[in-house]
Amino acid sequence: MKKLYKVFRQGLIFENPLLMLMIGLCSAIAVTTSVSNGIGMGLAMTFVLLFSEVIISLFRKLIPSAIRIPIFIIVIAAFTTMVDLVMKAYFPDLSKSMGVFIPLIVVNCIIMGRVEAFASKQNLVSVIADSLGMGLGYTWVLIGLAAVRELLGNGTLAGIQIMPSSYQPILFFILPPGGFFVFSLFIAFNIWLKKKMEASQRTKELAAKKEAA
Amino acid sequence: MKKDMVKLGITLALFASVACACLAVVYAFTKENIEMQAEKQFNASMQELFPQANAFDKIQDLASSDPNIKFETAYEVKNGTIPLGLAIKAAGPSYGGTATLLVAVDLHRSIAGVEVMELKDTPGLGMNASNPSYYVDKAKKTTFVGQFAGKFLTDPFEVKKDVVAITAATITSRSLTKIIKAAGDAAIAYMDQKMAAPPADSNASQQQNSQPQGIQPKAGGK
Repeated sequence: MKKLYKVFRQGLIFENPLLMLMIGLCSAIAVTTSVSNGIGMGLAMTFVLLFSEVIISLFRKLIPSAIRIPIFIIVIAAFTTMVDLVMKAYFPDLSKSMGVFIPLIVVNCIIMGRVEAFASKQNLVSVIADSLGMGLGYTWVLIGLAAVRELLGNGTLAGIQIMPSSYQPILFFILPPGGFFVFSLFIAFNIWLKKKMEASQRTKELAAKKEAA
Repeated sequence: MKKDMVKLGITLALFASVACACLAVVYAFTKENIEMQAEKQFNASMQELFPQANAFDKIQDLASSDPNIKFETAYEVKNGTIPLGLAIKAAGPSYGGTATLLVAVDLHRSIAGVEVMELKDTPGLGMNASNPSYYVDKAKKTTFVGQFAGKFLTDPFEVKKDVVAITAATITSRSLTKIIKAAGDAAIAYMDQKMAAPPADSNASQQQNSQPQGIQPKAGGK
């Protein structure tokens, strides 16, 4: 159980796909212009990641290593297309505002990377922990990025006016350069958080050692 | 080696066919809903443009004067059998790719209204063209496409002259204006050719009829 929690936690901060592994950045910058987009993209991504990892982990002994990449792509593409169809059918507005980035989940390196590096080697339970951790790690960064960008660049949060009407929105934050700027701040924050957590863990370990001695 | 290849091929084909089957099921489930959504959106836009409309006749062979601007579908909009105007779904190049607009032209040869169907553009700048709370005229609360409502096609349709541009999105403003103008011109040409005589006449006679009626009581009162 503790091991599973550890796997799950990796994706949130220590191995956050966006902030530490720095993969899948293109769509992350592109869709985070509004909070609702961030939530939608994060959930879509988590869904595809979870199911692709589960399927590939279940069938990992049946997948010949020579053709594993095409098989991964088939599985990922199938789930992505399902998400795309379901979103078009039930959330047409969201699907419209994210446009091409939902189909592009197929080629998102986070999924490809996790499937290749983790799911094709691990058992089902730890794969579920890993995909949920990675998905959640991706989602919180997207929502955070989108919240900052939407609030400063448009004066709203999830479409609701927050800033007073006298506030002149800073368009810079909605545009791609602003995205990179906010993103870099998030990276810095994450590294600070990671260092702090590591330090507190070390002191804990030291204290435990002392007690044992 | 050869045996291996066959085995690998079969494995890959198996995975692909299972994925295909799953997709087919999801597609079958969502198909109806997706079509319904598209129709709903289209009907809502139509309702907005022609509140009295209840019949739409598809029309073909509408020629575009600009090779870059294409008309996807066009409809003769009617209330029962009385023609109200034309609605054209026109697509043309804009700043962020192809923009699709629904342009409605009424029998008075003016734009009845414009709806943005599809637009890819910079959020906060060009995307304001489809933002219902972005006003080019803050006092009158008219949106960018809203300013075309009631505009006659004899107008020049020039951005920064008779068309107010979206701030910091002049290219988008120009492209959209061009699409609207092209669709409007085509609609007028169609009206002149196909439905000019009867509907324009009936419309005109209606006006003529109503005018004297309006005047007569007044005259009688005097």
